This record gives sequence, structure tokens and C-alpha cells, in this order.
Amino acid sequence: MSEQVLAALALYGEPALFLVATLASVGIPLPVMLLLIVAGSLAAQGTLNFGIAVAAAVVGSVAGDQIGYAIGRWGGRRLTGWLTRLMGDAKRLEEMDNRIRRWGAASIFFSRWLVTPLGPWVNLTSGLAGYSWLQFTLWDVLGEALFAVLYLGFGLAFSDRVQAIESVLGDLTWALVGVLAAAVIGWKLFAKKTAPPSAARSV
Amino acid sequence: MALAFVLAVAATIFFGVRAGRQARHIRERNEDIRGWMSVPFIAHSRHVHEEPLFRAIGVAPNRRDHRPIRDIAHEERVPVRQLIGELETAIAQEANAQKESSPPR
Repeated sequence: MSEQVLAALALYGEPALFLVATLASVGIPLPVMLLLIVAGSLAAQGTLNFGIAVAAAVVGSVAGDQIGYAIGRWGGRRLTGWLTRLMGDAKRLEEMDNRIRRWGAASIFFSRWLVTPLGPWVNLTSGLAGYSWLQFTLWDVLGEALFAVLYLGFGLAFSDRVQAIESVLGDLTWALVGVLAAAVIGWKLFAKKTAPPSAARSV
Repeated sequence: MALAFVLAVAATIFFGVRAGRQARHIRERNEDIRGWMSVPFIAHSRHVHEEPLFRAIGVAPNRRDHRPIRDIAHEERVPVRQLIGELETAIAQEANAQKESSPPR
């Protein structure tokens, strides 16, 4: 799949970038990170226009995210039922709902450019939780713009090393996710240890 | 939860060290040629002129030819691996020629 997508980018340029960014944001597993780096490299070689490539990537990704949000928000009872079953029970869905309301902006922004595999899931759950469309779109556009500029920029700067830079960035992303996970779990462990005995029992 | 914490720290160290190691050698290793790459893209990655590469695979040199080499292989009815081999040979020859023609420092 990755070969076909990259070949399409070389052949059709920005329209291919737009289409792949949209499909990936809806949840189809496509190598968007490598695609953006290669697009940056093609811009460095004069094959693509950097500004148009950024616009195609941002508009495509935001369009895909909006589809996910709309499915979550107006997908109806069947989807809610399916997600409830997926989450375990209604109580867990309610917990997720509360989490989205509490961490909505951060989860939307960071899932656009840092923990991108979570993006489609966050779109669906944001819609399902009734998170404000305006707020969703604001953080979505900011996150997707950062993602596009960052990775196209890497491609532009390391235009002769696209596969190597993608590999380094992939590992760095997972290292960052590890840091975040360790910080959250560490903080919870610390809170549990320092909580008074009665509170600790109730946790 | 303690196990999850240890796993998160271990993953951070593993991926961090691997990223650092790769980043250190990023300029030393050549990019592998893949089927999705076009001839001008390969020439740019390997810092050689594209004309000898086009000629090596029997295609008329054209800067605007962005066909992936797997499509060229398909049209020429040759395996992609064979085309990659021919390109690697041409790149090595071109790199040598460029080295010889550049004035000594």
C-alpha cells in the first residue's frame, strides 16, 4: 500500500497528497508521515510547490477529521451502541465522555501531530461526546497545520534522506509517547502512594 | 501499574537510543532504491546527474519524467530488482566519474 501511495504522489503531486491526507484522517491506515516527508523532498527538488503542498495536506486532513467528527456526532444510536459495546459498558463510555470534555483541546491537538494513530478515534469520540464543533475545528486546524509544516519541513531539509529521517522521526515519536505515558503513570503512582490511607482504599 | 510504568520507561529508552543511533549515522548511509521512486528522485538522493541513470535503464532522459521505476520496469517488461541493479551500477560509475573530475583539495 505504501508503495502505491508514494508512487501516486510522485505522479500526481498535490491532489494525491490531499486525497491520502483525507483518507488517513478518516482512519484508513496510510503512511502519511512518510508521504509528507517525501512531498517536502519533492518540493526541495522543484517538483511540488511547498505552499500548495502544505495547503493540500492541511485541507485534506481537516476534511477527513470533520467526517470522523460528523459520524460521531450524527451517526445515530447504532453507532453509539456499537461504541458502547466496544468500550465495555455505558459507564466507561460516560467516563470517556467526561475525559473528552476535560482534555478535549489537548487530546485533539496532540493527536493531530504527535500521537497520530489516535487521531481518527479522537474525532469519533469528540463528536460522540458532543464536544463543541468550533473548538474541535480550531484545535484540529492548528494541530494539522503544525503536522504538515513540521514533516514537509523535515522533507525539505533532508530531501536526500527521506527514508532515514522517517525512521528517526518514527522512533522519536514513540520515545515521546513513552515519556508521556511514564509521566502520567508515574504521577498516578505517586498520588496513590502519598494519598491518606482512607483515600487510598477508596481509589 | 508499576509494571506499566517500567514498560513505558523501557520503551522510551529503547526508541530514544535507536533514534539517536540512526540520527548519528544519517549522513553516512545511502538511501535504498525503492520501486516508488522516480529516476530524478533517485538521482537527487544519491547526488548524481539523472541523465546517465535514464540511459542506464534504456529510457530517454527527461527531467519531467516522474514515473516510478516499478512502472518503468512494468513497461519495459523487466523485473524491478533488475532495474534497481542497473541503477546502482550506473550510480557507482557516475559517483566515481564525479570524484575523478572534481579538483583535489
